[in-house]
Amino acid sequence: MTPPILTVTAVEKHYRGTPALRGVSFDLAAGELFGLLGPNGAGKTTLLSVLAGLTDATAGGVTLFGKPFTSRDAEARREIGLATQDLAVYPELTARENLLFFGRLYGLSGSNLKRRTDDMLALAALTDRANHRVDTFSGGMKRRLNLAVALVHDPRLLILDEPTTGVDPQSRNHIFEQVRRLNAAGLTVIYTSHSMEEVQALCPRLAILDHGRVIACDTVANLLRQLPTTARVTTAQAVPETLPGVTGRRRTESGVELDAADGPALFAALRHWPGLEMAALDVVPPTLERVFLKLTGSALRD
Amino acid sequence: MPTLTIALKDLRLLLRDPRSAIILVVMPLVVTLILGLTLGRVFTDKPDSKIRISVVVEDEGLGDEPRAFPDRPWSEILLDDLADTANIRVERIPSREQAARLVERGDRSAVVILGKEFSRRAQRCSFVGGEFKRDPINPLYRDGVKADELGVEFLTNPTQPVGSSVIQQVVQVSLLRVVIPWMIGQAFDLIGTDRFMVKMEEKIPALGIAYRVPGFSKARLGDGIRGGISDFFSEYDFNAKTWSGLTESKRQFSVHGAVAGFGVVPLKLAVQRKPAAAAPTRGENRTVYADPKDVQYQMLVPGTTVTFAFFLLLTVGWLFVAERRHGTLVRLRLAPISRTQIILGKALPCLAVSLFQGFFLLACGKLIFGMTFGSRPELLVPVVVSTSIAAAGLSMLVAGLARTETQVAVYGTLLVIVLAGVSGSLLPRELLPENLRQLSLITPHAWALDAYSQLLNPDVATPQVGRVLTACGVLCLYGVVCLVVSRLVAKLD
Repeated sequence: MTPPILTVTAVEKHYRGTPALRGVSFDLAAGELFGLLGPNGAGKTTLLSVLAGLTDATAGGVTLFGKPFTSRDAEARREIGLATQDLAVYPELTARENLLFFGRLYGLSGSNLKRRTDDMLALAALTDRANHRVDTFSGGMKRRLNLAVALVHDPRLLILDEPTTGVDPQSRNHIFEQVRRLNAAGLTVIYTSHSMEEVQALCPRLAILDHGRVIACDTVANLLRQLPTTARVTTAQAVPETLPGVTGRRRTESGVELDAADGPALFAALRHWPGLEMAALDVVPPTLERVFLKLTGSALRD
Repeated sequence: MPTLTIALKDLRLLLRDPRSAIILVVMPLVVTLILGLTLGRVFTDKPDSKIRISVVVEDEGLGDEPRAFPDRPWSEILLDDLADTANIRVERIPSREQAARLVERGDRSAVVILGKEFSRRAQRCSFVGGEFKRDPINPLYRDGVKADELGVEFLTNPTQPVGSSVIQQVVQVSLLRVVIPWMIGQAFDLIGTDRFMVKMEEKIPALGIAYRVPGFSKARLGDGIRGGISDFFSEYDFNAKTWSGLTESKRQFSVHGAVAGFGVVPLKLAVQRKPAAAAPTRGENRTVYADPKDVQYQMLVPGTTVTFAFFLLLTVGWLFVAERRHGTLVRLRLAPISRTQIILGKALPCLAVSLFQGFFLLACGKLIFGMTFGSRPELLVPVVVSTSIAAAGLSMLVAGLARTETQVAVYGTLLVIVLAGVSGSLLPRELLPENLRQLSLITPHAWALDAYSQLLNPDVATPQVGRVLTACGVLCLYGVVCLVVSRLVAKLD
């Protein structure tokens, strides 16, 4: 395994005595596309602020590219790109002016700046609107520009905080594609979202944060294994009690729901069980959302 | 470099924000114009410690016949005497009708009318009559001069008896100073003349015998009497016919700078003596303006320039809050630049805009409102620059502390108005009570106004360069301190 480029060790963050992060630890390998999930108020934004160098941890530490990292480390911040949940572009400037401005802030100049600006306009599919003011853009265009601005200085670590909030399916799909392409090109990405589907689709590995703690950090496959596959059997007959691998059983109006750790085995057993006539057999695989709800509970959060 | 990048970006945003142009450029001009139209008199009547004597001159003069004295109408002599009087300011009103309206409205407690016959009647004033002076007038009486005998009237407002009484007394004294030397001078001229000596012989018959003595004559006796009186009253010149001549005292003020037509009409007298008098000319310690509006804008333009320099904090505040609202402040903090670079990057465009505003408003003051830049126009540059530094510093401090546009609008406007009010930006500082004037020095406005006053106030003949530079230094210090504090306390999160 490649050495981690980011190591978060027992990070605590308190705001006027109120803990927002409590001993958060995980690490991130170079080139990884890492998901970060958590209900509202779990501490995701605080954690991202610490990782981006906007604020310092009250306790614990962050190591970035092998060196301790704090908010005072300006050079390390040069390697980080952050696409914030709220749009962070100047509405009165054009798309090109925004990219040029932020590029210059990171020390780009001359032909390099122009090339990066043109590349980012193409990445955001905004080349033909490059010289239009941002306040004339649709929500999706602004989101794409927000991502482009985070990338203009060619960072090694990209942090995406809810990058698809309020965008149409086309723009969301475009952002997904670009994130995958960038990650395939070697960019390390931290991706947070409320959409479990997005994270499950994009991120091979993720952490789930709740009440300021990491309550799970694993690959998506391993997390899904924590939940059984459910088979919904629609039948008028009694389902045999001796089916192999069944860990749970619930009666329904039309039949029974069976849980099993090995979904395919249960499916095969049901199909071939002698004398069992089924009107329908649906297999419901475990989802990240179910894992998330199982881990964080279903109580409402602020 | 990042500082310059931020500065150029903010400058671009400021230029694209129509509010900036309205607040920083249009509003000051409009306010200057409105204040000029509504409060102009407050500025033009600024030397309020002086008693204003309003005069209508209907005097037809003495005609063209040759005479030894005077060489001009008696009304001019009287006006000069009034104007030469300490703490007196003479205002000429063009017509009796206008004067009557002013008195009736209570704008003037009294107006002096020098009638058509004034010069001719003054010319007739004499201690002697008969064969020496045809149809003489002796206007003197117990209380002074009988004004009506000289064709002088007073239009008075009965509701302002004290004011009108003071004016009448002042004119009485001036009339005395004009008439008495004239009457004495004429009388003294008679001494030694044949007609006088004949009269003397009538009264002293023995003189007829004395004239028979060889070497003794009427002429020698006459000269002797004149010489004797002159020697006896050696401090007086009885021939002079003017008060200053009679008393052999020097004038204290320039005649030319003594009379002004503030508030009512351009002063004909001054215009006649000062061709192309749009620009002020400086007398020994006074300045005459042909047009009163020159004076009011001379004071108003610096006032509004200073006030609106500090309106910059609204614009900058909004810009700062918008940066926070747009989330771009977070991006600035993410970038590999320091907090100092962010603050400086934001302060520089403030300074640039403020400098443009300052020079633009002064230029408008000259081109639109006809103000002049005084005798040391080059010193206006450091004043504008230091005022801009102070304004930019204070703007950064307020902008860095405010979190919302409402906070900027409320606190910013309150601060601007209070500072302008306390400092006397919108009214002449001379009108402020002394303690408030001292207190006002805690505001940068007061220092800026003091510097501008030194350079532009028509009452200041020679600007005190040290005082101007001190004010500039204080303003720069103020701006730098505000900037440093804003670097420490600005909320960039």
